[in-house]
Amino acid sequence: MKYLYLDTSSSYLYTGVVENDELLTDRKIEFGKDLSTEALKTIVEMLEEKNIKPGDINKIILVNGPGSFTGCRIGITIAKTYAWSLNIPISVISSLEAMSITDDEYDFHVPVIDARRDYVYAGIYDRDNNPILKNQYMKKSVLETAISNMSDNFVYITNDAIELNGDKKKYVPDILKIVLKFKDKETVNPHGIDADYLKLTEAEEKLNDRDC
Amino acid sequence: MKDVYILGIESSCDETSCSIVKNGNEELATVILSQIDIHKNFGGVVPEIASRQHVKNITMVIEECLTKANMKMEEVDAIAVTYGPGLIGSLLIGLEAAKTLAYIYQKPLVPVHHIAGHIYANNLVKEMKFPLLSLVISGGHTELIYMEDHLKFEKLGGTLDDAVGECYDKVARVVGIPYPGGPSIDKMAHEGKSTYDLPLPLNDNSYNFSFSGLKSAVINLNHNEEQKGHVINKEDLAASFQDVVVEIIGKKVEKAIKEKNIKYFITAGGVAANKGIREKLANICEKENIEYSFPEIKYCTDNAAMIAAAGYFYYMDNRISTIEINAKSSDVLK
Repeated sequence: MKYLYLDTSSSYLYTGVVENDELLTDRKIEFGKDLSTEALKTIVEMLEEKNIKPGDINKIILVNGPGSFTGCRIGITIAKTYAWSLNIPISVISSLEAMSITDDEYDFHVPVIDARRDYVYAGIYDRDNNPILKNQYMKKSVLETAISNMSDNFVYITNDAIELNGDKKKYVPDILKIVLKFKDKETVNPHGIDADYLKLTEAEEKLNDRDC
Repeated sequence: MKDVYILGIESSCDETSCSIVKNGNEELATVILSQIDIHKNFGGVVPEIASRQHVKNITMVIEECLTKANMKMEEVDAIAVTYGPGLIGSLLIGLEAAKTLAYIYQKPLVPVHHIAGHIYANNLVKEMKFPLLSLVISGGHTELIYMEDHLKFEKLGGTLDDAVGECYDKVARVVGIPYPGGPSIDKMAHEGKSTYDLPLPLNDNSYNFSFSGLKSAVINLNHNEEQKGHVINKEDLAASFQDVVVEIIGKKVEKAIKEKNIKYFITAGGVAANKGIREKLANICEKENIEYSFPEIKYCTDNAAMIAAAGYFYYMDNRISTIEINAKSSDVLK
């Protein structure tokens, strides 16, 4: 079984192929605004280098957000088109879920993505990466209070330049570990795959405010 | 000669569309998923919402198109896709899907300029002849394009500010018609009389247009009448507005036909559905004794059939791209 992992929910491309509990190949590159030109090209180069043809992939594990709206959509479009056209099973996981897997030293893992204006996308996970506080869009101060009331032994996992009260770790995905954890997760119909933005668009928020 | 099948994908604004066209002139199947009902709630297209809808719908639209045409991806010769101009987040969805399909099926990727698509929509109706003049008028574009031959585009002029369709929608809002109100203005214009005095915008010797001043004039007129306690006659205002739009467009088209020795005139884009403008342009072509073609409404608004039709000519001209191509929110047609 060959698993293709894909995450473009930040300014980074994280991708890799796992087979027989081994990481065959991977790429972890910050592309920023060039993600749209570089993502698919890099995936193709990675696969071709290992002589993997598109149809050799047995399952896709896709990260569908939260994070950069455009970034999320690039990876999702590639993955759902890939999975649909070749009829390859696909499972979807959260970027925050993937981020929590980086650590195994602390009792609680707090993956955080900067959502600007003092807001974050975050969740709280225990040592075994089980969700304790569900992923959400919230005020940074609310997150800080929630975790400090819970324990002293926690770590924030983030790649963003964001000030947080507590230990902080940079997020470098352990693709093998992530894939092994989620390889048997239920599959979904590729047509139905959408980004998990965790936040409405500004236009929708304004419309809701007006209607209230 | 072997038949050539092009699969086209279009997602530059608020329509997700896929189409298969044979030999650049025969539409086999087209699927268009319009988001208009969603954007109506916001008084115009919201780019982030448009992108969110495209990513949800893209694979379903492509699958339905293949099913309708009773074809498999393997049978397609090339994949044509709109790379720009348009809303960047929207364009990226169609483009990433096209690139992924091109990689998986090892098909040539053909990036198509959206305006070229609008022009080539005409080829689905009637074979294009040259030298040709094309007027592209829509909610996002107002351009006069001269073509000596296939794919030889020369922009004679365009709007310096608002697109003509945008101006129609704004005038509609002034008289209380919700987005998109342009088509209603056309209808009302036929019921009213041109009684209000409005300026002929950018009445000069160039091929350019300007509609923002006209829009302001309508807003001011409405405001002044309200101040005086007069009730504005909406039909008459629509007729007065449409009159100056038709006159200035007609004037510049006529000038181009004469100066460029045009043999064939075509129009394209959403506003090409406007009856007032069509009548005027038909009159000019008949007076100048040249052939013209106005495509049906379904080919005027955004659709992937036009991208596949243009894509055929791009493909035959070997204008293919690697999967590194990026979307462009603006780009010169060349």
